[in-house]
Amino acid sequence: MANSGFVVCKETAWCPGCGNFGIVRALAKALDGLGLQPNEVLYVSGIGQAGKLPHYISGNVLNTLHGRTLPTATGAKLANGDLTVIAVGGDGDGYAEGGNHFLHAIRRNVNITYIVHDNQVFGLTKGQASPRSDRGMVTGTTPLGVYNEPFNPLATAITLNASFVARSYAGDQEHLARTIQAAIQHEGFALIDVLQPCVTFNKINTYQYFRERVYDLDQEEGYDRTDRQAAWARSWEWGDRIPIGIFYQIQRPTLDQHYADILIKPLVRQELDKSVVEEILDEFRIG
Amino acid sequence: MQNLNIKIGGQAGQGLVSIGTILLRAATQEGWYLFAHQDYESRIRGGHNFFQIRLADRPVASWENDIDVLVALDEATITRELEEVKPGGVVIYDPDVLGPDAQKLAEQSNSIGLPFARMAEELGQPKIMGNAVAAGAVWALLSEDLTELHETLALMFSDKGPAIVQGNQQVASAGFARVRELLGERPRPGKPANPGPRLVLRGNDALPLGALAAGVKFMSAYPMTPSTGVTEFISEHGRRAKVIMEQAEDEIAAINMAIGASYTGVRAMTATSGGGFALMTEALSLAGSAEIPIVVVNAMRPGPSTGLPTRTEQGDLRYAVAMSFGDFPRAVLAPGDVEEAFYLMAHAFNLAEEYQMPVVVLSDQHLADSYTTVPPFDLSRVEIKRGKVVSGEEAGPDYLRYRFTADGISPRLYPGFGQGLVVAAGDEHDEHGHLIEDAETRQKMMEKRMAKQKLVEENALEPVLCGAEDAELMLIGFGSTKGAIAEAVEMLNSRGIRAQGVHLPQVFPLPQGLEVLLQKPARKFIVEGNYTGQLEELIASRFAWKPDGSIRRYDGRPMNAKYIVDRLPGGVCHG
Repeated sequence: MANSGFVVCKETAWCPGCGNFGIVRALAKALDGLGLQPNEVLYVSGIGQAGKLPHYISGNVLNTLHGRTLPTATGAKLANGDLTVIAVGGDGDGYAEGGNHFLHAIRRNVNITYIVHDNQVFGLTKGQASPRSDRGMVTGTTPLGVYNEPFNPLATAITLNASFVARSYAGDQEHLARTIQAAIQHEGFALIDVLQPCVTFNKINTYQYFRERVYDLDQEEGYDRTDRQAAWARSWEWGDRIPIGIFYQIQRPTLDQHYADILIKPLVRQELDKSVVEEILDEFRIG
Repeated sequence: MQNLNIKIGGQAGQGLVSIGTILLRAATQEGWYLFAHQDYESRIRGGHNFFQIRLADRPVASWENDIDVLVALDEATITRELEEVKPGGVVIYDPDVLGPDAQKLAEQSNSIGLPFARMAEELGQPKIMGNAVAAGAVWALLSEDLTELHETLALMFSDKGPAIVQGNQQVASAGFARVRELLGERPRPGKPANPGPRLVLRGNDALPLGALAAGVKFMSAYPMTPSTGVTEFISEHGRRAKVIMEQAEDEIAAINMAIGASYTGVRAMTATSGGGFALMTEALSLAGSAEIPIVVVNAMRPGPSTGLPTRTEQGDLRYAVAMSFGDFPRAVLAPGDVEEAFYLMAHAFNLAEEYQMPVVVLSDQHLADSYTTVPPFDLSRVEIKRGKVVSGEEAGPDYLRYRFTADGISPRLYPGFGQGLVVAAGDEHDEHGHLIEDAETRQKMMEKRMAKQKLVEENALEPVLCGAEDAELMLIGFGSTKGAIAEAVEMLNSRGIRAQGVHLPQVFPLPQGLEVLLQKPARKFIVEGNYTGQLEELIASRFAWKPDGSIRRYDGRPMNAKYIVDRLPGGVCHG
């Protein structure tokens, strides 16, 4: 795909009606809206149906391993900060296989956007329980129903003092595009957990299910997104009403800033200065 | 040849590394060459460790069993190490730490009791300076005067201020004087001719120095003995050279971060040991498929599992060569000494980038932690070859990351450097980098990648030889056995047996030149630090060949010349 505007590919390996279509279209809209060019953007993804998204939109792509999206994206961003780095993955990818990386990416506060396609089920392997599946959900690996407590990515992120924590909904492209833009403009690690109906394997958390429940926190009068306690309380609201929007946003030092003395320009644009190596070698010289 | 072995034994945390480091720096300053190895337990305090320094008036590559000077900081040094002391050797011990039995044992030998810590305290200095007392005591057996020792202490403690420097010099002088007084005039080795400036480094210093010289820009790692020295070195010295070293949450993250950085166009690496390497293997396969250069140092320690975490073995060879699931091009290098570690590490980055593949550099605890005197490294010998890279203009807007080419190497474009888009994937892909399922593209892409392996093999590093060309006996090894083999060859030749040593700095793919050597009429022995004969298996499967015998060590300890020669079959070592 050429480098002019963000084109969304018509041919995909996704099921008709998949929530992923809403996500990729919202992403293109957000990037176009920010005036970015495809060659300035790097999508890093893992494996799963979400991991295929970068192949369906113009930009640079690093399609890695299941669960390994965040460390790979971290390395890429540190090496070339000029790139707008967008990590893309699913809930199995990010919260199960990549759970440890999720915790530490938040701690690092690397300046990337992380979009999680949260369909509460494993799609690509055909419908097994994910860490986000509701209790009681019957799947191929949980014939008696899911018995583990669902993982709460937002509460976890807020607990770890993530600097940008949001939820959006694949059925509301306007909201999602707006949220993605805010995440990209945020200095630091920005999590967007996207409620994404899986039309094939999740018969509980459907479009209708979410349409009836979601409400926009961004429109709530008096909601203070810098109030960590309030954000944490909202992150547990999951029933008749499910909040979307930016739950929590603060400024704290980013990983890139920690390396500011090194990153006078992007690493990839720095030439090797052999005199510094000579200097280090000289310190080991004896006699 | 002047040759002197000093062994300092004690508990972890007692300061034997400090004493050893002071001595090895001062001895180098005085003109000695040295080889120093460390033996330590997986604990922070207690146990029994030693630091052994071999000094000589010419370069030495390995250690020896017989000890000239034993320094005992604990009782175990007396009860366990005393029998290694040569007749006429000297034992310097701290009487304050010995029980009555050990005391009796110590007194039987040519020994000097010096209460190191107490002497420091009596001179109004802190106990910790007992280390300098011990260093001064040993120095009295080596040198006529204190000049080099004092200079070394001044350099080592300069950042702690003049009082600490003077305190150390004062107590070192006291240790020196006391030994002089007790032993009287005793023949001391002549001062070696000063060979000029040299470096005294461990493998764990030389490898990261090689990486810095090669222009590494990014490292991520998770601490694991005995590789941690590499990581700490880059953390400490890399910042000045504008290198990012990010400590990862696990080895999986470490290698994936490095791969992410490498994709954008910087040289990137990680370092680990066996178990950590196991966690990295999935990502090695990704680097193979997505054709992303990456250099991984695996400092081996004895497995299986946690094994002996602080000791040495060459048991990961088969695993490093197998590397991961699926077929993809790769190379495995195995430097044998400090100097080779520096230049091979730089070479590893060239290989990784020229062939866009993972390269593993196998080290081990013995190489990692052993100090050797080496000539200053020559940066002009470090050539940087970044492989086929195109500018944004050359790439144009329709750039194909995995373009089919005659040699299988598709030119790299760094993302963001042009209008072209860089699409890389671990899933099977087409020339664009987008995912495919069809058989034809899969086959072509597989053949494209594997064409690179042939080039890697054609350009493999040739064996490094020592000893007699018309050999009747040949010793073949890789990695840290290089020095032991070289000295075994020397020992055999001095006994009238024409021996040759063959060291393999590259173990995968093996160089073609090895086949020629294997056809020589000599009796051939494979020397390696593992149980199953992993090098033997590798060579045998590549060249349909069998050795005349094998010498293996898998007790966690390093080989030396004596170990090898003692194990050659009877009849070989006549004379």
